[in-house]
Amino acid sequence: MGVGLEDSCVHCGFCLEACPTYVVTRSEVHSPRGRITAVKLDVDSQGFDTCMFCRRCELACPSGVEYARIITKVRRATPEKILMNSLLERPRLAWRVLKAGKSLNSGLIQRVRLSLRDPQEPLEYREESPEVILFPGCLTSLAYRRTVENALKFLKAKGLRVSVLNGCCGLAHRSEGQVERAQELVRRLTNVKGGTLVSLSSNCTAHMRESGVQVLDFSEYVLGLLGQERVELSLTVHDPCHANMIGLGKATREVLRKLGVNLVEMEEPSFECGAGGGYFLFHPQIAENVMELKAEKIRRSGTNLVVSTNPSCSLVLSFKGFQVVHLADLLAQTVTKSLE
Amino acid sequence: MRLEEHLRKIVGEPWVISGKERKLYAYDGFTAVEGDPELVVLPGNEEEAVKVIRLLLERGVKFIVRGSGTSLSGATVPVGGEVIVGLSRLNRVYSLEGYEMEVGPGIANVMVTKNAPPHLFYAPDPSSYVVSSIGGNISHDSGGVHVVKYGTTFNSVISLRVVLSNGEVEDLSYGPFLSALPIFVGSEGTLGIILRVRLRLYPRPKTRRSLFAVFPDVRSAGEAVVGIFKRGVIPSALEMMDRNSIKVVEMSRYRAGIPDVGALLLIELDGDEEEVEEQEEIVNGVLTDTGGARLSVADEGKVWNARKGAFPAMGVISPAYLTLDCNVPRRALPEVLEEVSRIAKRRGVFIANVFHAGDGNLHPLIPYDPSSPESLFRAIQASNEIVKEALRVGGVPSGEHGIGIEKVKFMGLYHGEAEMRVMRRIKDSFDPRGLMNPCKLLGGCEPKTEVTRWLWEWD
Ligand SMILES: Cc1cc2nc3c(=O)[nH]c(=O)nc-3n(C[C@H](O)[C@H](O)[C@H](O)COP(=O)(O)OP(=O)(O)OC[C@H]3O[C@@H](n4cnc5c(N)ncnc54)[C@H](O)[C@@H]3O)c2cc1C
Ligand code: SF4
Ligand code: SF4
Repeated sequence: MGVGLEDSCVHCGFCLEACPTYVVTRSEVHSPRGRITAVKLDVDSQGFDTCMFCRRCELACPSGVEYARIITKVRRATPEKILMNSLLERPRLAWRVLKAGKSLNSGLIQRVRLSLRDPQEPLEYREESPEVILFPGCLTSLAYRRTVENALKFLKAKGLRVSVLNGCCGLAHRSEGQVERAQELVRRLTNVKGGTLVSLSSNCTAHMRESGVQVLDFSEYVLGLLGQERVELSLTVHDPCHANMIGLGKATREVLRKLGVNLVEMEEPSFECGAGGGYFLFHPQIAENVMELKAEKIRRSGTNLVVSTNPSCSLVLSFKGFQVVHLADLLAQTVTKSLE
Repeated sequence: MRLEEHLRKIVGEPWVISGKERKLYAYDGFTAVEGDPELVVLPGNEEEAVKVIRLLLERGVKFIVRGSGTSLSGATVPVGGEVIVGLSRLNRVYSLEGYEMEVGPGIANVMVTKNAPPHLFYAPDPSSYVVSSIGGNISHDSGGVHVVKYGTTFNSVISLRVVLSNGEVEDLSYGPFLSALPIFVGSEGTLGIILRVRLRLYPRPKTRRSLFAVFPDVRSAGEAVVGIFKRGVIPSALEMMDRNSIKVVEMSRYRAGIPDVGALLLIELDGDEEEVEEQEEIVNGVLTDTGGARLSVADEGKVWNARKGAFPAMGVISPAYLTLDCNVPRRALPEVLEEVSRIAKRRGVFIANVFHAGDGNLHPLIPYDPSSPESLFRAIQASNEIVKEALRVGGVPSGEHGIGIEKVKFMGLYHGEAEMRVMRRIKDSFDPRGLMNPCKLLGGCEPKTEVTRWLWEWD
């Protein structure tokens, strides 16, 4: 089963405490080192499936082990997951299925509906020769239509021509081992022309950039647009895992600083939220333990208001009772104010 | 009831690992020998742990207690198909009073300081502190960069709760006469199971200052180390990296912009501001006298991380390596380091040196190709020579990584027959049936593979 990359792992264990599934199980089976060893020793381990694909282990690894490339080669997506991922490729279709799903008896749809209580119709918006091509990301378009509207509102207030591009970047596919499909999807985005591609879901931004797509995260793009806007709030920031890998947290904080927000940092802001993409639909117990650990870290910050720039994280954090906002939601407030 | 079933009853279904997955516990930080555990069991609290251990003792099953599995001497490798009892889930902080913290053995070293109030810290800090467990640290008497001033783990243990081979749970603390506690420190899980630990915390010094100095060769750096102590300075850390280890680190994610020099010294001074000023002046004098030059760096943390990450950074040039850790008297450092590089040449191996110079604790890293037995053999041969050289100048075979399965044959060489007999008698009285971590520390097992034969027998 070896994939030829696992050999660079020296079995030092430096990645263990960085891994959310290890932290809550403390079992080698659910650890990066264990998963890599399983590949090395040709053990078909349940750990392959329980990986949240947050890649925190890669950041912790002193030997530069390319964990993501190892795990995606040995992961086999189940038919259920393949079905879910293919739905995500077409957010509008997904919306219809989910809406109809109330009466459907599929276990998966029921579970999705548990976390996505109120699927919304993805926002369609098009302008001639747009300056900004706004990419919400599949889950944002379904779960956070409001955020997409808010982003649009802010960009319009800045006098920009915008088109919304609904679709999926393929990150979910990649994390489940559907590497080829993921590449097909992301390749489509490489070819987007006529305007700056701006992504509202920061983990998607990271995935696209790593795959060679010219894309800016919403946080990076708005940095150049900010003027006198002010937001008087106390809040804390969650760093979505993939976004954290390419350091997007910096841009997010820079935006917040410019807005004059009172930022109270939580402990380990990049600690996995527990969503792990679609993870919490499939391994509820481990996910619940990770979510609870994350929630404790947030509670200790003393604030209930959390900025999250990635939809699956936002869903999980609201699940845990926090009030969650995207940068776009904060920025939209400044627009209304200046109109008043 | 079958053992596996019985264990599952105690700890719950998911916490017994059988089938092929048990192989994930086949080795630790020492990867040259792959064991094969019969089963792996991960109790979730003290009561479960005691029940598990009593059951294994009752049934006469050989077992190995495991912490985070980062031992560099293979102290958790199940060479004889033992059951692994992993205690990583026993990671609670039980109490914090004054300068003492009581914790479970599975807690990672780093979490102790994290859970301490801001004015205190836990001093022993092996480079593996982000992951290695307190239970493992105690069982190997682990050191770290702060050993020179604060001592090894030994100096920070106040009391232990252990399970003995008769299944009894005992609380041990220091007493003035024939104290039972110290013998557990460094016992590599061969005498009993550590369930709970009371640790000593130290007040954080008011000032901590890092100095870095570059040298044209390891000999002059070694002379500087000797000089610093001779002039009466006890640094809180004093580490050395040679050219090879700097090269490797600079290729890894720990790169810190260290120039290509013969040797780098990393020095930390702590205490009151005045004290530190004074020490710094003395150290500067020593550096000038020995041909060293201060290196100013933009980010000190990066250079320290480069030191701490130096072992696993070896992964960028080789997937496997042996790490020796013999201690030598400080004054012998320059001589031994030169001999090490001669051995490397003679044996045709690459050796990188990155180590605790302040306490003369060498760490020659010898990479080998795991797919080539011949390459491992050469690395082992080079290790043999290095350890013998260390012993010749008055050193000891292991300063902090333990004996495990890696260094058993050096025990006899260092201690001699009479001492070995005494140690075996001690082991026998603690563990008459030889159920706890067999083959480790004192050896006594027949090698079943070529590699264990290389390790355990002189040719
Ligand atoms: C990259 C790297 C760097 C390192 N740097 C250092 C360093 O700077 N200094 C240093 O000293 N070491 C270092 N080490 C070695 C290693 O991290 C230490 O020996 C550490 O203390 C082992 O802890 P562990 O939890 O991994 O123990 P394990 O490897 O799981 O076990 C080690 C031994 O302890 C026994 N044991 C564990 N828990 C218990 C218990 N509860 N009761 C009884 N016995 C128990 C085991 O049976 C075994 O004999 C390093 C290792 C690596 C991989
Ligand atoms: S990707 Fe995340 S969950 Fe998976 S092994 Fe790495 S750290 Fe653990
Ligand atoms: S993946 Fe990296 S950090 Fe984890 S055990 Fe392997 S080498 Fe160490």
